[in-house]
Amino acid sequence: MNDIALRHPDTVMRLARLGSFHQSRLSFMRVLTRRLAREGWTFERTAFEIDDFGVGHAVYTTHGPDRSYSLVAFAHDLPPESRSDRVIAEAWDTTFTLFDGIPDAGDIERLSKNIPLQEAGRVTSRELSVSRANRSVRLWDHVVAQLAAGAQPSVDQINAVGYLMRTTAVYGSGKLGAADREMIAGRPEFRAPFQVEMLSVFLTRWFVRDLVQHMADTRAKQAGKTPARLDPEIARKLGIGNSTGLGMAPFLLNHPLLFNNWVTAREEALRIVRNMPTASAEAVALFKSLMRRSQAAIQNWQSEHPVQVERLAQLRADVTALEGHLADYDFSANDPWDTLFRWAEANLTLEGQEWLASLMLEPYCAEIDALVEDMAADTSASFRIAGATTIGEIRALIVDIYGWAIETDWAMPENKARAWYVSEEKLEPRLGERFEEPIEEYEQPLAPGRDAAVLYEALTHWPDDTQIAEFLLRHPRHRHTVRRVQIVGRAPYGEIRDNTISSTILPIDMLRCKLAFFGATQFDPRSDRWVRICMYGNAPYPDELTTDTADFWVYPPETEVPA
Amino acid sequence: MTHSLNEIEALSKRAARGSGLSWGLAEEAAKGTRWLASFGLPGPELLADLLELNDRRAEIDVSPMSLDGVWAAPAGRMSPLISGASLSDCAGRLLALGQIQLQSVSYPLLLVPFLGGAALRLKQPVSAAWEGARLTTDGHQLCVQGDDALLTNHATLVTVSAPAQMLGPKEPVMRAQVSPESWARLSGFAHRTFAPATEESRMRGAGAGLSDND
Repeated sequence: MNDIALRHPDTVMRLARLGSFHQSRLSFMRVLTRRLAREGWTFERTAFEIDDFGVGHAVYTTHGPDRSYSLVAFAHDLPPESRSDRVIAEAWDTTFTLFDGIPDAGDIERLSKNIPLQEAGRVTSRELSVSRANRSVRLWDHVVAQLAAGAQPSVDQINAVGYLMRTTAVYGSGKLGAADREMIAGRPEFRAPFQVEMLSVFLTRWFVRDLVQHMADTRAKQAGKTPARLDPEIARKLGIGNSTGLGMAPFLLNHPLLFNNWVTAREEALRIVRNMPTASAEAVALFKSLMRRSQAAIQNWQSEHPVQVERLAQLRADVTALEGHLADYDFSANDPWDTLFRWAEANLTLEGQEWLASLMLEPYCAEIDALVEDMAADTSASFRIAGATTIGEIRALIVDIYGWAIETDWAMPENKARAWYVSEEKLEPRLGERFEEPIEEYEQPLAPGRDAAVLYEALTHWPDDTQIAEFLLRHPRHRHTVRRVQIVGRAPYGEIRDNTISSTILPIDMLRCKLAFFGATQFDPRSDRWVRICMYGNAPYPDELTTDTADFWVYPPETEVPA
Repeated sequence: MTHSLNEIEALSKRAARGSGLSWGLAEEAAKGTRWLASFGLPGPELLADLLELNDRRAEIDVSPMSLDGVWAAPAGRMSPLISGASLSDCAGRLLALGQIQLQSVSYPLLLVPFLGGAALRLKQPVSAAWEGARLTTDGHQLCVQGDDALLTNHATLVTVSAPAQMLGPKEPVMRAQVSPESWARLSGFAHRTFAPATEESRMRGAGAGLSDND
């Protein structure tokens, strides 16, 4: 009988591995589409008042068992020179809010004065999210022109970009005055993390398809031609892009308990599968089928960034190696999944290992999907420091969690070359060069390894049996780190066990990890600090969503599998 | 106009940090301000007052000198945030002693959220009383007695007791009113934590990289 334990946090919580995570059946987009289908949510477009210039608003409402939600979309005529994905942008092609219920004319009027302004506007507790999206100039113009001329867009061009619009921020959880998460976290549909944001993007994709058709129809009418309807097969390939910068990286550091719960769910799922004594023929067939379909996505995955180019080459080599290994692999032997995974650990790169880890979970919905229920976090209980803990206990925790940091020479400039800070410019989070820019006095507490090493040093001469409360009374500046040590002591996957301020840190690893939990694909780093991804590519549109289409859409259809 | 509690917490944390508090205390000040606001109490206003009073003062000057006996601070006035954090740390000791007394506490209402944290840890209600005011909490609900005295800028003696009894509890609400004037004062402190906008920062800090308009 196999008895595989969870992978150790020292193995999992390294940036290089976290930056190799792939979407899985626990990803928040797939959690959402499964629920919408299972519960029979219905969808309707209740307004589409967009003029010939592409300016106006639209409303898309979805009805669940207990409540309705509406995406209110505003479309704008944006001068090309104003288009930027940076958070410091001040105008966008489209802006959105997810409204709690069904908006009336007064709501639309109020929202029309605020949502287009994004951060400069205000919303209320009736709004659950605020977001915006810009056109992909490359693809938008092509698709409009083709449809207006009565033809379909080029599939190659669609595959090369993957989306017509990309969101540049999706704000939830009380931002700009919206409803706090606590107001809605008790609703079953929002219990899992980021379901508001995922629902907003799912409906946004529908709006974007309607908008591009509207613009093509308008152009055709003006030219006296008959436009083509966008082929549903082609439309399905289109996801919604997202351009994400450093705002997402601090999130993982600022929410250690939540992050722990995400990683724990995935690790527990992997543990369950590795402990399966046998694999049914159906499970193996599904695994192999999804693996083939996954290869289509990997083939089509494009990036110009040197780090990702290399990782993609490795992943493609890993895919070939796994295919070769599976050619005569005996799934009927004992512990087939664990044996396979051990082979992967010895023979594949981190990209390949994590790709396989996600893929192995696919056949086991019954055993795994309920883990989603534990992915949210109530942090209120863990926030207060347990002051009666002894200094000896704190010391032991630091050694256990931050051993790497104690051994790091923090006097070496390269080990603390960077500092995280917030700019006064729209509060954009940034990463600067500590020794080259005047930013250190603005440094955010986002270097837990260094801070733990400093705390460890400060505790050196204190007796083991003294309570940490006595130490903290005299050294309140360590409260942040003591709290963190205690949280991570209970939530061991809550801490990144790597240096987040070294000269070689790649913030995109943190972004990728978070986005993989969302369910994003096609990671395309544009620098070491921002990344583009695709959401809901190949997903059914709301009118196509059924229990048959709700789960495995992320894998391209069989028809696209390379021969 | 109402604010979300998350907005209040985010601004309070930055403001407390901007006034010179260390990050850990700033986080606790922010959670506490949010907690008070969730009960309709003017946490943000009092926090702004306190940050102005202790602006950039050394934490140690307004901290309890010792956790034994009656707590007192060397500066002759004690920060409710720092003493509150210590009270929360000492929840077990509080229950064993039955009560802890604190001398000369500034804006004592700001101390109360920390008792909420202590109550959650102890799974017993905790109360704080000063002249004309008494508040009791189990961490989830709050019982308030007193009116003007609740908002006093200084209490000569605060008595914290555990266990205490909940009488007429208030449920938290999920939105808060903060006056524009208080919001502006907190924003002023928060602004100190933001690096100035420079072209270099704009270009380097977020990773310019490839085009973002294609």
